[in-house]
Amino acid sequence: MLNIENLHASVDNKPILNGIDLQIRAGEVHAIMGPNGSGKSTLAHVLAGREGYTVTDGQVLFEGEDLLGLETEERAHRGVFLAMQYPVELPGVNNAAFLKASLNSVRTARGEAALDAPAFLKLARDRIALVGMQDRFLKRNVNAGFSGGEKKRNEILQMALLEPKLAILDETDSGLDIDALRIVADGVNALRNPGRAIIIVTHYQRLLDYIQPDRVHVLANGRIACSGDGTLAQELEEKGYGWLNEESAA
Amino acid sequence: MNTPEIAMQRYHDSLTGIQPSLTGAELPWLAGKRRSALEDLTRLGLPQRRQESWRYTSIDKLLGYELMPVTEAMASLQESDIRHLWLPDLQTHRILFVNGRFVPQLSDLSGLPAGITVGSLRDLIRCNPIMPARWLGHASGASRHAFGAMNSAAIHDGLVIDLPRNQRLERPVEVLQISMGRDDAILYQPRNLVVLEAGSEATLIERHVCLGNSHYFHNGMSEILVQEGARLEHLRIQEESPAASFLHGIFARQAADSRYEYSGFSLGGAWARTELNLDLQGEGAHARLDGLYTTGSNQLTDYHLNIRHTVPGCRSDTRFKGLLHGRGRAVFDGSIVVEKEAQKTEAHLNNANLLLSRRAEVDTKPQLEIHADDVRCSHGATVGQLEPIQLFYLRSRGIDALDAQRMLCMGFAGEILEQCRIRPVSDIVGRAIENELNALAPEVAGASSD
Repeated sequence: MLNIENLHASVDNKPILNGIDLQIRAGEVHAIMGPNGSGKSTLAHVLAGREGYTVTDGQVLFEGEDLLGLETEERAHRGVFLAMQYPVELPGVNNAAFLKASLNSVRTARGEAALDAPAFLKLARDRIALVGMQDRFLKRNVNAGFSGGEKKRNEILQMALLEPKLAILDETDSGLDIDALRIVADGVNALRNPGRAIIIVTHYQRLLDYIQPDRVHVLANGRIACSGDGTLAQELEEKGYGWLNEESAA
Repeated sequence: MNTPEIAMQRYHDSLTGIQPSLTGAELPWLAGKRRSALEDLTRLGLPQRRQESWRYTSIDKLLGYELMPVTEAMASLQESDIRHLWLPDLQTHRILFVNGRFVPQLSDLSGLPAGITVGSLRDLIRCNPIMPARWLGHASGASRHAFGAMNSAAIHDGLVIDLPRNQRLERPVEVLQISMGRDDAILYQPRNLVVLEAGSEATLIERHVCLGNSHYFHNGMSEILVQEGARLEHLRIQEESPAASFLHGIFARQAADSRYEYSGFSLGGAWARTELNLDLQGEGAHARLDGLYTTGSNQLTDYHLNIRHTVPGCRSDTRFKGLLHGRGRAVFDGSIVVEKEAQKTEAHLNNANLLLSRRAEVDTKPQLEIHADDVRCSHGATVGQLEPIQLFYLRSRGIDALDAQRMLCMGFAGEILEQCRIRPVSDIVGRAIENELNALAPEVAGASSD
């Protein structure tokens, strides 16, 4: 589904990604771990198409299509979804209106009919239950005044509504207490299916206690330093990331 | 002679000419007021750019027009011409003015409770001038500039509301002010007088619209007295013609424990200036002033607020937001004065502007002048553009760039619209802003990349 080859990217002319190679098949869950500054979040944002992240070399194919040639919204239409580490507050923008506009833009792009208000509300209520929130959540403004946990749950709600093919979760576990973490993990697990690939970007192993990854990759200095199965995450938890720098310095 | 001198002479001559034909010309108190206003006009002279409140506002273009002062409606309208302009789904007392003149046959004041006056100033001057004789000029005081003097020199018609003690007007008063220019540019000068006696309560909704795209100069004044414990909710939607010049001075005075809530929406006009003068003169008076303006190319929105706390324990909350696009220009000049005796004052003023184009321009100047020492006051202003991270967030959810910009703009405006308790009003304003944003879509797209 996703094929990343020799990806180089820089931010403000500073190289951050220095040759990433990664293949993800439909149905797989990959965890990307690594110390701060290793390029994890940059990779997530490059895939989503954030401005200011310049690809200097390499390519990314998503279902055979050149992903990097697409506008941000076109990537969303194709089924790419980024759950952000810091979900953005949109004061004055109603959450329900935002979710409906988002869902209908993706549905229209997929050739499906746009949902009218009652149909949307029915679906939204169904998905809200999945992330353990109340309906009044819909009446508030997007993320404005939300607690950290509510913001993250709102991201998972969007993912549940948009049903992306490729979901990228950027540090979704950061700032969550154990209960919120479990709710978010349950939401993600409920969305695992053979047609969907999920990338979990995380600094810590604790989210992976709840979401079992098929593969774990460790990023250091903008490259994948090593890959393995779920046990690699366990190993990192014990050893920390210090050994990576020693290795790459050597 | 140069243009200002010619214009001044013209204003003076035309006002002198019409004074004998104005309503109540035979009433000494009224004729005297008009005459002294004419003297004020000569004494004050036209506003100059070197005066602080006119520093960012040029009236050169206005002075170039040969304006014809009118005291009649100058147009005959059918019910079908204006039906769509009344607010939908709202029971109101309807009162129509065309070019400043009351049009009784298209108004509907049939359901007014006995003892309550809602109607035309001209009618009241003719039939029962006690109330206007007592209150006209009371809240406004001496003319502060030539245009105010011009209005007072030609007091003729306008809205009048007189609400007796402890009367609560259930339905809002809905004023439709239609401007209809003709081939020659016209000048009309409505004078409104609203008196809410102690303990009374009312909602006033004013809508200024234009039929056609002609030039006219609306030079209006409103005097509003909110007596002890009275409560007035005042909403104004101002959608002038793109060619129009519009100046309106509001003078509101609040007595003890009164409430004045203002929501003003300025959406049109080549030059639209609103001067809002608020005097909190009785302890425990509260005011909330909310404003929203949208301004595009060839437009200047010009807001001047003068909020004065003279007694202890009053509160004012002022929040104005502006959405500028194209080569739109706005001036926001808002000042709060807290006098020495006005201890325990709480006063806040904020002005936020969102610029959708690099060519748009705003001059904002919030000011706070405090002479008391035990107060809670704040003031601030921001001028900014759409946040790239917010645009990215929406686009990453599949919403295209233009829709994303529109949603963020509507969100910005929504923070003021949400405060408006009369749904049909916020709906009309919301739709008007949406249409304005839709119409400039390609320009917005250009702005993000230039």
